[in-house]
Amino acid sequence: MEQNELIDLMKEKAGLVQAVVLTVTGMEEVLRYSVDITLRQNGKTIVAPDVGTKDMQKLEKLCGVSGLTILHPPLRSHLSGIHTALTSADRAIAETGTLVLDSGSEDVRIATMLSETHIAWIPAGRIVPDTASLSAFLIGKMKSLPGYLAFITGPSRTADIERVLAIGVHGPQELHILIMEGT
Amino acid sequence: MIQTAGNMKTYKKKIKAALKNRFLRKALDNFASAYKMSRAKAFEGTNLDILKDQITDGKDQALAQLLILFDQFKAGAEAAGAIVHLAATAQEANEIITKIGRDNGVKTIVKSKSMTAEETHLNDHLETEGFKVTETDLGEWIIQLRSEGPSHMVMPAIHLSRQQVGTLFSDVTKTPVDLEDIDHMVKVARKELRPVFLDADMGISGANLAIAETGTLGIISNEGNARLTTTLPRVHVALVGLEKLVPDLSAALRIIWVLPKNATGQAMTSYVTWITGAVECAASATGKKILHIVFLDNGRLELAKNPVFSEALRCIRCGACSNVCPVYGKVGGHTLGHVYIGAIGLILTYFYHGKDKARAIVRNCLNCQACKSVCPVNIDLPFLIKKVFGNILEDEGVRPAKNIILSAVMKNRRLFHAMLRMAATLQKPLVKKDAGVLRHLPFIFGKAHDFRTLPPLAEKPFRDLWPKIRPQIQTPRFRVALFGGCVVDFVSPEQAVSLVRLLAGHEVQMEYPMGQNCCGLPAMMMAEEKTATDVAVQNLEALEPWRYDYILVLCASCGSHMKEGYSRLLAKKPEQVEKLRMLHDKLMDFSSFMVNVLKVTPKDFIQNQTRVAYHSPCHLCRGLNITREPRELLKTAGLEYAPCKDEDVCCGFGGSYSLEFPEISSEILRQKLNHVEATGADVLVTDCPGCVLQLRGGMDKKNSRIKVRHIAEIVADNLKNG
Repeated sequence: MEQNELIDLMKEKAGLVQAVVLTVTGMEEVLRYSVDITLRQNGKTIVAPDVGTKDMQKLEKLCGVSGLTILHPPLRSHLSGIHTALTSADRAIAETGTLVLDSGSEDVRIATMLSETHIAWIPAGRIVPDTASLSAFLIGKMKSLPGYLAFITGPSRTADIERVLAIGVHGPQELHILIMEGT
Repeated sequence: MIQTAGNMKTYKKKIKAALKNRFLRKALDNFASAYKMSRAKAFEGTNLDILKDQITDGKDQALAQLLILFDQFKAGAEAAGAIVHLAATAQEANEIITKIGRDNGVKTIVKSKSMTAEETHLNDHLETEGFKVTETDLGEWIIQLRSEGPSHMVMPAIHLSRQQVGTLFSDVTKTPVDLEDIDHMVKVARKELRPVFLDADMGISGANLAIAETGTLGIISNEGNARLTTTLPRVHVALVGLEKLVPDLSAALRIIWVLPKNATGQAMTSYVTWITGAVECAASATGKKILHIVFLDNGRLELAKNPVFSEALRCIRCGACSNVCPVYGKVGGHTLGHVYIGAIGLILTYFYHGKDKARAIVRNCLNCQACKSVCPVNIDLPFLIKKVFGNILEDEGVRPAKNIILSAVMKNRRLFHAMLRMAATLQKPLVKKDAGVLRHLPFIFGKAHDFRTLPPLAEKPFRDLWPKIRPQIQTPRFRVALFGGCVVDFVSPEQAVSLVRLLAGHEVQMEYPMGQNCCGLPAMMMAEEKTATDVAVQNLEALEPWRYDYILVLCASCGSHMKEGYSRLLAKKPEQVEKLRMLHDKLMDFSSFMVNVLKVTPKDFIQNQTRVAYHSPCHLCRGLNITREPRELLKTAGLEYAPCKDEDVCCGFGGSYSLEFPEISSEILRQKLNHVEATGADVLVTDCPGCVLQLRGGMDKKNSRIKVRHIAEIVADNLKNG
């Protein structure tokens, strides 16, 4: 599958499970998007446990201007009150619109589980067509001990009351996937 | 607490109460319809049979070496910092988990959904030991607050309405809850449970998979509670049935790929979590998660060695066998299961919770095969259910009188047929002339049986008509034998007469071997396997399959039992192997013979375009896998085929089932007839005399204008030169 086909399939399938999927040009746009969404949702805080130093400086600047607070690791001390979590994703599976996140770091786990909105960025080159094409990657991860690996497909959901779909029961209420093209 | 009836009397009361619950029926019915569509969509473009076979083979290989896989898993997980236990019994598992709690100073526990923990009644045990346990899956939390067991393995609270949940939540939170607003209720759960997660000392989860190769647990969830349960508290205990062990990642991925699709038609659950060992955890003194993995035996190792029942351990708990079960759809999971629900529940209950819990529920199976056809791991659920029933009868050493009588009579064909002839004479005062039904039901039937009229026995059985109508063909193209079956022979010989009319002009030499007996399926349904085997041998001898090109059946149930059931019954009789193979190869249903062998064409029939609806008999569409031919034959025979909702759902007959559970049978029938009436058809056609009996009796009882015909009858009626 060509990259643009993979991106389209990823958009379609993740869209079907209520994820918001966009293509972006680079980290600048990812940071700006995260701040904008947080402001639009009246959120006050952002965590970004795996953002590099330079990008973090940029994010701090953006947040400073907008009046948002960045919560820094260890996130154990911020279990309540995380609005937006910005993380990378290691792989994506187009067939099901799934993100794969190495969540061995407790900060990544807390960010992706306890936030209201999870924004994940992924370079387009890391989208694979199906789960089978990911076997070697997964085995590698499982063999580097210990490990906590997460497949995330859309926001948290339930249909436990009268089979009616409701979004956002225990995990994030929104999932935004930002695909960085040309990478 | 889960209340499961220990005898038929209590069970019948429970069934009656369940049938009065209109909300439950509507909820289950809506789900059943939606499920079929979303499942089909989820599997679009997939060769599901190949995938099912792969998973089945993988499961069987794993089941043959569970302890080896366990050792491998233990080595891998312990190298990554986990502690792995093996509990022989449910009690032992509960005690191990209690000790882990004590050793780590645990007071509060959060749980994510685990059927295995339901199996061991872990919550009750932990609460007695003084721990505070909170279920965090929304459905599980709801039923915990109500002190109930789950009513579905995937959707534990499917039996409850939003109003019931809303009222419960407003009681629990002491705050008014809008009784219509489900989104709001979900947010109430989010808000109430979040602090419970944050305060918990220990999290208990189940696991859908345990990968031996790497010592990795695989857990699927939609809500995200399994992730919080395994992340926030400093201690994580996973309780895992031994049968969840798979050798490697690819086996695990295959299951993950199929499970959500088969469970609810979802392509993938929101979350799949793969945990290998003790990851970092700031809440723990060591900075590492305290991870204990408790594998549960509780009879699994023994079951894995059982040549008949081991396949029950393939179950991946998708719950699909409940989703498609017509009985489940009428009475729900609290009435069709103990801890484990639906078809697989009827089997596992016997092994995990004992015969007292299984005794009554195990009888509640129509043998419609819907569960078997949807099972992703090819478990022959209806067969195993009857086997469990047989085991319980054997365990208890007391066979019901009707079993003893049925066996004695059925084994002796002459006696059986003589009794039928005698009954045909004795019934005369009861027969309503012209109407072709019994005026009132014989006294042995109670009021509950009054949902359908019953036909009388025929004045002359087909075997008595046969010598006069037997065709003589000089140079036949085909030689065929008809296996009539009891209903065609003694109740509806006109169906076989129609066949004779249809074969005329096609140069087919038909025979009706007189030594043929009942096919034996009724004996199987009552778990009288010995009788069923004797009768199978008698029929093989009587049919002499080497004499014919085809052996035709007008009854799908006889046909599917002879094709599949006989092979299993006679597997240990080498002297029957050759005859059995011939029977298997030559047996054919009526429609397939007309369409594929005689290749009838529209020219043969009057094209009157009578509007007909079709009921697809369970044992034809699933038992014999015939779906195209009958519909094609209807069109060829000049009829207008009007598709009907749920054509392939059982009519509720199930042979002796409708006598044992008339209340449920009549509900299933009522729905079937409503669907048929909605098509605007003038005639309802089907190809099994048992279904005809049920459907015609039901239509007659409600004075419907819709006639019910066996497909052979209506096709013969449209013959140009008939």
